[in-house]
Amino acid sequence: MTAEEERQQRAPSGGNVPAGFTPLDQPFDGGSLYALRSAVTAHAAAAGMGRHQVYDVTAVAHELAANAVQHGAGHGRLRLWADDKFLYCQVSDDGRGGSADGAGAPDGLAPWPVQHGHGLWLTGQIADHVGVGHGPDGTTATVRFLLSPE
Amino acid sequence: MTADAGVQVTELGAEDHACLTFGESEELFDLTAAFVRDGLDAGLKVVWVSEAGPGLAAGELERRGVAAEAAMANGQMTAAGCEGRLLSGQEFRADAAVGWLAGELASSARQGFPGLRVALDMSWALRPVAGIEELPEFEQGIAAALEGSTAAVLCQYDRERFDPVTLASVAGFHTRAVAAATYYADALLRICRQYAPPGIRIAGELDFQAAEPLGLALAEAIRLGGDIVINMSALAFVDARCTLMIADAARTIASQSRSVTLRCLAEVATGFKRIGLADVDGIRLVGRR
Repeated sequence: MTAEEERQQRAPSGGNVPAGFTPLDQPFDGGSLYALRSAVTAHAAAAGMGRHQVYDVTAVAHELAANAVQHGAGHGRLRLWADDKFLYCQVSDDGRGGSADGAGAPDGLAPWPVQHGHGLWLTGQIADHVGVGHGPDGTTATVRFLLSPE
Repeated sequence: MTADAGVQVTELGAEDHACLTFGESEELFDLTAAFVRDGLDAGLKVVWVSEAGPGLAAGELERRGVAAEAAMANGQMTAAGCEGRLLSGQEFRADAAVGWLAGELASSARQGFPGLRVALDMSWALRPVAGIEELPEFEQGIAAALEGSTAAVLCQYDRERFDPVTLASVAGFHTRAVAAATYYADALLRICRQYAPPGIRIAGELDFQAAEPLGLALAEAIRLGGDIVINMSALAFVDARCTLMIADAARTIASQSRSVTLRCLAEVATGFKRIGLADVDGIRLVGRR
């Protein structure tokens, strides 16, 4: 499958892909979250997003990936694609299923009353649409952002 | 003499000959500002010899809450370059430089100051200066000049640019080793104490994996007492968990009738605003574009 075919297959609403944008498909684990954020930042900027929105998309991608690292299989895969209106970010965890965010306290809890679940709350605040599905193959979260250059 | 490890810049006193090693200019200016501030507050004469001109030096100190311009205007402080003090015609002679220091000691006493504080930015020694091989002799001379005096000297070495052999050759002549208290440091993140104004500084990218050192740093910020600055000016990313930890610490400090200032990029500030931190009495959120 060519890159173009793959892009069209993923983009649910079809349409034109922003010029200069290429999809992202990157595995991650706890040791590669920095590299993942860096890649998401670069691809979101290439989709034409402004600085603030690029930061927000990166923050959401991180929270979803961190959730898979902390409460899921410990690793996962992030996909990013776009059409002419939206940027999509999908994080899948091929391990055991479980509620997204807050399924259990991670090791080394900080001495602060952190509310586990804030990551998903933040995701809901920033994204236009959030969908989380659980199945025998693990958990998949897909979020959508309106492309709005600053 | 051997250097004590782990001494805070705020603990220096008379006769101390301290070796400050720093990794970035922000750290140098922060520690120097604390050294200058404490000296001025104690009524001492303060001299800062650096590559930075008097204007830049005063600006960096003022930005950190030190009234340097007023002190320079009334003669309590001098900020000057190396030429004519440590160097003469871009040549270094240890006896001449020690002689300059002895002159400053005598001059400050004549002016009625109860003591002297001298900060020496040693970056000039990275240039191809004639006589540089006399550097250990200079450091030895400072140690001798300080014995029985009411003066303190803070020699400032960039640990990234000075080679380990040079640092080792001068370290033995210092009575104290000074560096910023660091809670965490790697290629991506640095969490350290800030001395002027008091607080903590976080630079790089911060996520849940650094929650433990962040918690220690925030706990110390609460214990420090007084007003606190959480300097995140060079923090490019902070995740939800750490945002909440910082916000909780800020609320705790503010609840003690102390003010807390959060300095950060505008994008990071938006994260704090989302959880209502901009509306809390005592918390000042300064976002920078």
